[in-house]
Amino acid sequence: MKKAPLVAIPLVLFLLLVVFLFKGLFSDPRELDSQVKDKTLPSFSLPDLMKPDITYTPDDFKGKVTILNVWGVWCVTCAVEMPFLTELKNEENVHIVGLYFDQDLDPDFGTKTLTRVQQEVIEMLGRYGNPYAFNIFDVYRDTSLDLGVTGAPEHFVIDADGIIRMHHIGDINERVWNNKIGPLYKALVAEAMSGEVNQISTKGTM
Amino acid sequence: MRVFIAFLTAVFVALPATYAVEDKYEFDSPQQRESFLQLTAELRCPMCQNQNIADSDAMIAHDMRRKVYSLLKQGKSEQEVIDYMKARYGDFVHYKPPVTLATLWLWLGPVFFIVVALIVVIRRRSVTPPEDMAAKLAKADAMLEQEKE
Repeated sequence: MKKAPLVAIPLVLFLLLVVFLFKGLFSDPRELDSQVKDKTLPSFSLPDLMKPDITYTPDDFKGKVTILNVWGVWCVTCAVEMPFLTELKNEENVHIVGLYFDQDLDPDFGTKTLTRVQQEVIEMLGRYGNPYAFNIFDVYRDTSLDLGVTGAPEHFVIDADGIIRMHHIGDINERVWNNKIGPLYKALVAEAMSGEVNQISTKGTM
Repeated sequence: MRVFIAFLTAVFVALPATYAVEDKYEFDSPQQRESFLQLTAELRCPMCQNQNIADSDAMIAHDMRRKVYSLLKQGKSEQEVIDYMKARYGDFVHYKPPVTLATLWLWLGPVFFIVVALIVVIRRRSVTPPEDMAAKLAKADAMLEQEKE
C-alpha cells in the first residue's frame, strides 16, 4: 500500500514533461516581450526616404492611428505582405507608415547611394503596390534598435497619442489582421474618433 | 611547380590580412577590448535565438556589436551597455537571467533536487533492524553449527 505514491513519482514527472513539451509545440520562440509597448516612440529625427529634405519626428505620429511597418527591399516576407497591406490601405483606409532600413548600407562604410536605394524602392512598390503614406529612412538603423526590432517585417500599432500599443513580429496577412491587429486598430480608431468628438464638444461648451 | 609554390605562399601570406579585415574595431585600451569581447559573448542575438552577437552574422547582431562598440567608446560601463540592450530587447538579450519569480526555479530546482536526494539516502540508511534480530541470529548460528558437523 505504501509503495503506490513512490511508483507514481516517475509517472507524474513524465506527465509534467509531456505538458511542458506540448506547450512548447505552440510557442513562438521569436515572440519576445516588447519593451516599448505602452510607451511613446523613442525620440528620432529621420529623413523621408523619397524626399530627404523632409524630417520626421515622433510628433508626426500624433493625431492619427498608425501602423508602422519596418521593411526593406531585401526582405522577402515584406514583398509577400505588401499586396495585402495595399489592399488594407485602399479598402479600409488603414494608415500605414514605412520605417525603411537597408541591409547593404553599412553605416560605417556606406556602399550604396541614396538614389540607388530609392530606385529599388520605387521598383518594388511598383511591382507589389504601395501601402505607405510615407516612408521614414532609418539611415543608421538606430531607431530600429531603439524600438527593439529584430528583423523585417515587424509592425508597431501606434495610437493617436503617439503611444505604441502593439509590437507584431512577422508579416500581416488576412489571419493576423482579422485576429490580432485589425480589432485593435479599429478599436483605437474608434477611440480616437470619440476623443475628437469629446474635444469638440468640450470646446463647444466652453 | 615554382609558380604553384609561389601561389601557395601568396595565399598564406594573404590569409592573415583577410582575417584582419574582420577586426575593424579599434579600442582605446586593452581593457576596453576585453569588455567588448566579454559583452558580445554575453549578449544574445534576438534574431537567431541561440547565438551570441559575437557569433551571429544576422544584421541585428552586426548593429548590436556596432552599438556596443560605440557605447564603450563613449565611456559607458559594461553594466550600462547591458542595461541599454535590456531596455530594448528585454531580459532575453542577456545570457545571465535575473532572479525573478519566473526564473527562480532555475536556482531552486537543483537545490530542491539535492535535498530530496539527501532525504531519500538518509531514509534508506536508517532501516530499523527487526525486533527478533537476536533470535534470528541465534537460529542462523545454530544452522551454521549443524553444517560444520
